[in-house]
Amino acid sequence: MAEQVLFWVFAIGTIAGAGGVIAVRNPVASAISLVATFFFLAGTYVLLWAHTIAVIQVLVYAGAIMVLFLFVIMLLSLTDHGPIVQLSPSRIAGALATAALLASLVGVFRKLPPGDTVTWATDASRLSSFGTLKELGAVLYTQWLFPFEAVSLLLLVAIVGAVVVAKARV
Amino acid sequence: MLNTPTVTMFDLHVVLPAAALVFGAIVLMLSEVFLSSPNRTYMAVIALVTSGIAGVVALNNAFEPARLVLQGFAVIDPFSSFMTVMVCLGTGLASLLAAGFLKHRNAERGEFYALMLFAAAGMSLLAASNEFITLFINLEVLSVATYALTAFLRRGPRPAEAGFKYFILGAFAGALLLYGAALLYGATGTTRLSDLATLLPGAMATRGGLVYAGFGLVLAGFAFKVAAVPFHMWTPDVYEGAPTPVTALMSVGVKAAAIVAMVRTFLALVNGLDPQVPFILFSLLALLTMVGGNLLAMPQRNVKRMLAYSSIAHAGYLLLGVTALFVPDAARSSDAGGVLSATPLLANAAVNASVYKGILFYLLGYTVTSIGAFGTLAAIERREDETRSNTWDLERLAGLAQRQPGWAAAMAAFMLSLAGVPPMVGFLGKLYIFSAAVDAGLIWLAVVGVLSSVAGTYYYLRVVVYMFMRPAAADAPATFRHWTTEVALVVSAVATVALGIVPGPIAEWLSRAGMVFGG
Repeated sequence: MAEQVLFWVFAIGTIAGAGGVIAVRNPVASAISLVATFFFLAGTYVLLWAHTIAVIQVLVYAGAIMVLFLFVIMLLSLTDHGPIVQLSPSRIAGALATAALLASLVGVFRKLPPGDTVTWATDASRLSSFGTLKELGAVLYTQWLFPFEAVSLLLLVAIVGAVVVAKARV
Repeated sequence: MLNTPTVTMFDLHVVLPAAALVFGAIVLMLSEVFLSSPNRTYMAVIALVTSGIAGVVALNNAFEPARLVLQGFAVIDPFSSFMTVMVCLGTGLASLLAAGFLKHRNAERGEFYALMLFAAAGMSLLAASNEFITLFINLEVLSVATYALTAFLRRGPRPAEAGFKYFILGAFAGALLLYGAALLYGATGTTRLSDLATLLPGAMATRGGLVYAGFGLVLAGFAFKVAAVPFHMWTPDVYEGAPTPVTALMSVGVKAAAIVAMVRTFLALVNGLDPQVPFILFSLLALLTMVGGNLLAMPQRNVKRMLAYSSIAHAGYLLLGVTALFVPDAARSSDAGGVLSATPLLANAAVNASVYKGILFYLLGYTVTSIGAFGTLAAIERREDETRSNTWDLERLAGLAQRQPGWAAAMAAFMLSLAGVPPMVGFLGKLYIFSAAVDAGLIWLAVVGVLSSVAGTYYYLRVVVYMFMRPAAADAPATFRHWTTEVALVVSAVATVALGIVPGPIAEWLSRAGMVFGG
């Protein structure tokens, strides 16, 4: 019961925060909304027993990355708040398509059978280890080795790409 | 106690081409630091040699038996290995084009070639991915590299706009693909494609809606990457704004890798679905892309934009080949009990083999032709007209036959090949694809394809008419010649003609059995 209440709090908070990011005019307020979204998302992770991911979410995203975002926004002192929504045929078509996608996904989710109950909810040893840093590391470095290594290539490419885009004109 | 995975050298064959490309990229970035020679053509040569080595390694892989490697995260099969060979060919030619192009603009940098090689490594790994997370990461590797390359030369308003547009829309499409993969994971509990193929029929019984939603979202994500109508809106702007050698690489590499990954993914995802659904979706996508691409290309006077729309049309012909893989067996579909019938779609192995051959040969032909066509544009383009709006107008090609007879002859060969006129390679590619489609029973779709490609002849031949029959403008600027550009154009032109006349051993290789793992 408490879990259900918490889930709805976190879910509504996440969506409201994400909506705030695009609806608010002030870039700083927008970034703060994103921080709120990350916190609520971290709460959802905790409900899924993914404590480590939740902590990383708060430390890395809400902590480190968003602080950088805020620095950049403040350094650039973005004050030019143009109109956010201008109606045009393509935007209306996009809104309709999005609404149709949302409606069909809601329809799909409403028809889902109840999920399988977790069979190990009373298994104390499993509960104490699931979602911990040790377990996560073991899974990441043994079962998911190749994607993990592929990420290192992605990060290298992203760094080089960022340097290329950020440097002075060639 | 950890279960350390056993990874043998046998497993690592699949990553060797990508490893060679990444190594070359790192060498290039270091050379930028330690070698400060004013003449930087050596960078293009390093990139060329690297892609050559990677291509040879990949060609060697192509003759190994198809198998799962690296704990099932990747497959090694001739389909992905041949695709890697083509990507390496395209990357090598594009870096030669870039050498002259960047030298003329005084913009030669090691990062440019490094990003090209990174993109090629991403393409090679993407084609071999057999698991959604791996697939997404490799798709991002190639996408991030091409986003940065698009915005590499920031002169005038267009490159920045193109880079930004490509980044935002590409990220959106990547998110759609990832969300679709998440829904499929929710339905089956696995992200490995080969496991999905076995688990989907069971999941259809209870979570059919989820599977269809995931299927649709993954399809939309891939359709964006191959620039299929109606997901093509970004293509003309991005292709026009990117530096022309980058456009050449995008039109061949990104498209080829995405098509191969698409085939691999959907061969797994169609299991258990009502066979009519993927068939209708792919037919519709192929039809719209073939007709739409050709119709949109016709009114274009801007040759670079025209080639962008033409690349959409060519994605349509490739999608026609993909559709031929998903034709429901007529006998089965008549008595199929609707959604739950776990119909094996892939009954006709002979048709599938000819489809794989068609797709790969078409990609090979399109690689040399499109690199050549964009390369000729890159050669004609002058630094002085970057800010002018008519840089790529047809008028700029007028009288090219008198000014640069060699380039005009090469461009004519590329245009005829794109139009599908024998004896160019484009004709054989279309022949293989269309005949595979007819064998699969897609007669009407093939007829539409042939008709739309005939209609496309109009705008390809218009370029030839301008080059050979219109007088040059009096103030036509002198062209900037560089030996790398000449080499790239000669190689593409020779390949375009030679592969069309003597497809020989290459067509033989491409029709090998067991092209696709599990296909």
